[in-house]
Amino acid sequence: MLETEVHDLSDDADYEASQQQGSRSIMRSDSGKRSEPEGAEVVYVKENVSVHPTQYMSERISGRLKLIKQGQSLFMSWIPYKGQNSNTRLLEKDRNLYTIRLLAFTDVRSIRRHTPAFGWQYVIVVLLSGLAFPPLYFYNGGVREFLATIRQHVFLVRSAEDESIFIVNDFQDPLQKTLSSLVQPRAVSVANAPSASISVGESPSIHNQKTDEGAFGGSSASQYIGRPRHKVHDPARDLSIQVLEKFSLVTKFARETTSQLFHENSDYFLANGRKNEQSIHDGPPKLESNNLQKVTNDVPVHDHPPKSTFNIMQNVPDEVPVPADPLEFDQLAVVWGKPRQPPLATKEWATFLDSEGRVMDAKALKKRVFYGGVEHELRKEVWPFLLGSHEYDSTYAEREYLRSVKKKDYENIKGQWQSISPEQAKRFTKFRERKGLIEKDVVRTDRTIYFYDGEDNQNVNLLHDILLTYSFYNFDLGYCQGMSDLLSPILYVMEDESEAFWCFCALMERLGPNFNRDQNGMHAQLFALSKLVEILDGPLHNYFKQNDCLNYFFCFRWILIQFKRELKYEETMRLWEVLWTHYLSEHLHLYVCIAILKRHRSKIIGEQMDFDNLLKFTNGLSGHIDLEAVLREAEALCLCAGENGAACIPPGTPPSLPTEDGLLTSQLEDEVLFSCPRKVFSHPTSRLPPGLPSKAMPALTASSVCLTSFSSPLATDRLVRRPLKRRGERIGKGNSAAEGSIVGRR
Amino acid sequence: MSYAYLFKYIIIGDTGVGKSCLLLQFTDKRFQPVHDLTIGVEFGARMITIDNKPIKLQIWDTAGQESFRSITRSYYRGAAGALLVYDITRRETFNHLASWLEDARQHANANMTIMLIGNKCDLAHRRAVSTEEGEQFAKEHGLIFMEVSAKTAQNVEEAFIKTAATIYKKIQDGVFDVSNESYGIKVGYGGIPGSSSGRDAATSQGGGCCT
Repeated sequence: MLETEVHDLSDDADYEASQQQGSRSIMRSDSGKRSEPEGAEVVYVKENVSVHPTQYMSERISGRLKLIKQGQSLFMSWIPYKGQNSNTRLLEKDRNLYTIRLLAFTDVRSIRRHTPAFGWQYVIVVLLSGLAFPPLYFYNGGVREFLATIRQHVFLVRSAEDESIFIVNDFQDPLQKTLSSLVQPRAVSVANAPSASISVGESPSIHNQKTDEGAFGGSSASQYIGRPRHKVHDPARDLSIQVLEKFSLVTKFARETTSQLFHENSDYFLANGRKNEQSIHDGPPKLESNNLQKVTNDVPVHDHPPKSTFNIMQNVPDEVPVPADPLEFDQLAVVWGKPRQPPLATKEWATFLDSEGRVMDAKALKKRVFYGGVEHELRKEVWPFLLGSHEYDSTYAEREYLRSVKKKDYENIKGQWQSISPEQAKRFTKFRERKGLIEKDVVRTDRTIYFYDGEDNQNVNLLHDILLTYSFYNFDLGYCQGMSDLLSPILYVMEDESEAFWCFCALMERLGPNFNRDQNGMHAQLFALSKLVEILDGPLHNYFKQNDCLNYFFCFRWILIQFKRELKYEETMRLWEVLWTHYLSEHLHLYVCIAILKRHRSKIIGEQMDFDNLLKFTNGLSGHIDLEAVLREAEALCLCAGENGAACIPPGTPPSLPTEDGLLTSQLEDEVLFSCPRKVFSHPTSRLPPGLPSKAMPALTASSVCLTSFSSPLATDRLVRRPLKRRGERIGKGNSAAEGSIVGRR
Repeated sequence: MSYAYLFKYIIIGDTGVGKSCLLLQFTDKRFQPVHDLTIGVEFGARMITIDNKPIKLQIWDTAGQESFRSITRSYYRGAAGALLVYDITRRETFNHLASWLEDARQHANANMTIMLIGNKCDLAHRRAVSTEEGEQFAKEHGLIFMEVSAKTAQNVEEAFIKTAATIYKKIQDGVFDVSNESYGIKVGYGGIPGSSSGRDAATSQGGGCCT
């Protein structure tokens, strides 16, 4: 077997090089050896294996990848180097977030190898739960050697249907095969008992927990912590421990102060902002600042929360005992969720604008929309701002001018496909397929809405034209089902082809990754969702874990098209404008998911829903979601999770945009030059007429305006900490004038 | 709503071949050309009778687009029957059958009954795949085959029922251990006398809450 492997790999220069380097690098790994358990052998080491937390290749966390063997078990670890990030602004917690401390291959489902024609090879490790780690880029080569080494220790087969996929733990029996993808984790862990002997290194307390693995619903307070006990080597769990330890303090604090807050008005964090902000954040940040490592290492287990949090619910008498919601949700919602306001109306909207039409205080506007939404008649005006299609500091005149420029740009792109003759189309399969698919889908989109109903509806044709034009504008992404759902309300609101197109483009800047072929955008969000549930509702997380529901596929449709199929048309528009403000979080939609799940947690757990039933149940919630209540609860959850929640969400997770603060560093000059022409084209906003005021440094000015104009200390706190890159990027992205002028200067 | 058995079905095949219409024709006996495209999965259910036994079919209607394959795969678990659908007027939907079959074989249990369905047989004038080709493909891969029309309802009932009858026969022949739900079969009230495990299943199932 070994021989064939070597033969198999002999054509790979990459492999040869790594073979030569291999022994050396293994020698050098001594320094890292301390983290390995006793009796373990490092069988593979590769330096400079990196994660890109954003879509920008310049943002890179490099580290050391190792394969470690102990007994019959193989483990993988990837530890980022300390202090060597390409970008110093990458926060320490980003490093921690991605760290793979010790991952047993019994928990791995498959490894996908990507060998792009240009650029570095990378692998994606997919867990049995269906979740995937971010791509690991091999900057020093060695992917084949990596796979070959794994194959020497673990049963690894190449997938018959996709040869870039290597399946781990594949079994001959097809039934086993099925089970392995969904049911296996427990069986495997048990079968490979030795794996348990490697605990997350340094944590005896976790190790001990193995022994108290009792039936679900046991009354031990430790259950609350939601700590998975099957897989002691789950790296995601390492993170969760840190987060949980911190979070439990928040929860404890929240509980203690509940009565105090109860009396304060709904505007409490404005009126009493300072006090609350301080006390809420005083607890966790103390731990957070420098002690991350410490928390991981000597996990202080089980001393909180109070036992009372594990009450048996009384209102589900005949069902399985349902562990209490650690947030005592309803109560908190009352306290935390601000009452919703009436939607923003024309008269009030005028007060946000100066005489030339600039939005004077973007932050205040976002806040207003966050808490109330926008009256329908006004959406046409406000949405382009929220989506980033209009600059907040643009004037009426600028917008008017850009409107005509954009219209022309749109017509140009549209002309590209319109000019394809039938003869040419015959030889253009990809085009025919896309066009055919879009034609089939637009007639299946919202045809019960009067705007799109009836035979030969012109608006349906517009949906078609815009989607096909988009698929040329973004040919790499193309068209994918779900996009028509996202476009439909936008066209309905904008009532103009070109403007709807550009608003849709702006939305797709955020949500495009939802439709990536490898589904990595969706995986990232589902992963973040599972982490958030883990900190916000440990017992529910445990329940999902025990019932093999951790892939959160039952929230797939919610996230993919932003609850479009779950809410009425009008409600969808309301939710979207609230989400687009990015007021408390860019990822409020994940908190919305959690708010909905939490509303039904006692039913889910009480009826012991399995994956199938859970999927049916969540599907069936369509049309039965109380949006206003859910929004308040989502807001409460988001505030409650605070920094710890944000830490669960890897940077770049949709709808976050790729960060662009790197533009300021000199090493990125090349990328600035390379990426600019494309962006100049893609954002016609950059072409200002000579007479209009130049906006040379919008990112800086606008973001400082945003930051100083916060009225909510809580919000300020969050946005300052995930700092300029979040806001700056948004503004920088939407306004390529600056980039254009950089190019011009050069 | 008591049933002797509950079978989980999954409907798969390329986008636009008429999976949702097929389901609607079967469950609601109507053809609705204007409906939203399927994102993720939709569910339907209907009772049928086989051998005088009430059987509940719980049907999963999946999204067909390639991009969603990875998620569709997670739906195969515990399916007793699959309807693999193509559109007789679009050759490419027939050409993709092998890859769908591959998915089904890999992610479903080995004893899952697969029915190959050539839909839109009312559009005979636009036919791009002959009946013989469909039959041939089914024969080569050990599938049951039928051409149907979700629009006219031709053979729709038969397709679902024939699949159920095949599954039922497999139960009678002892191919399945019905107490093991991974086969996609649940035993309900009014089930098989003496099948105590079945009664347990029925208790937790509550007799058809799952539409």
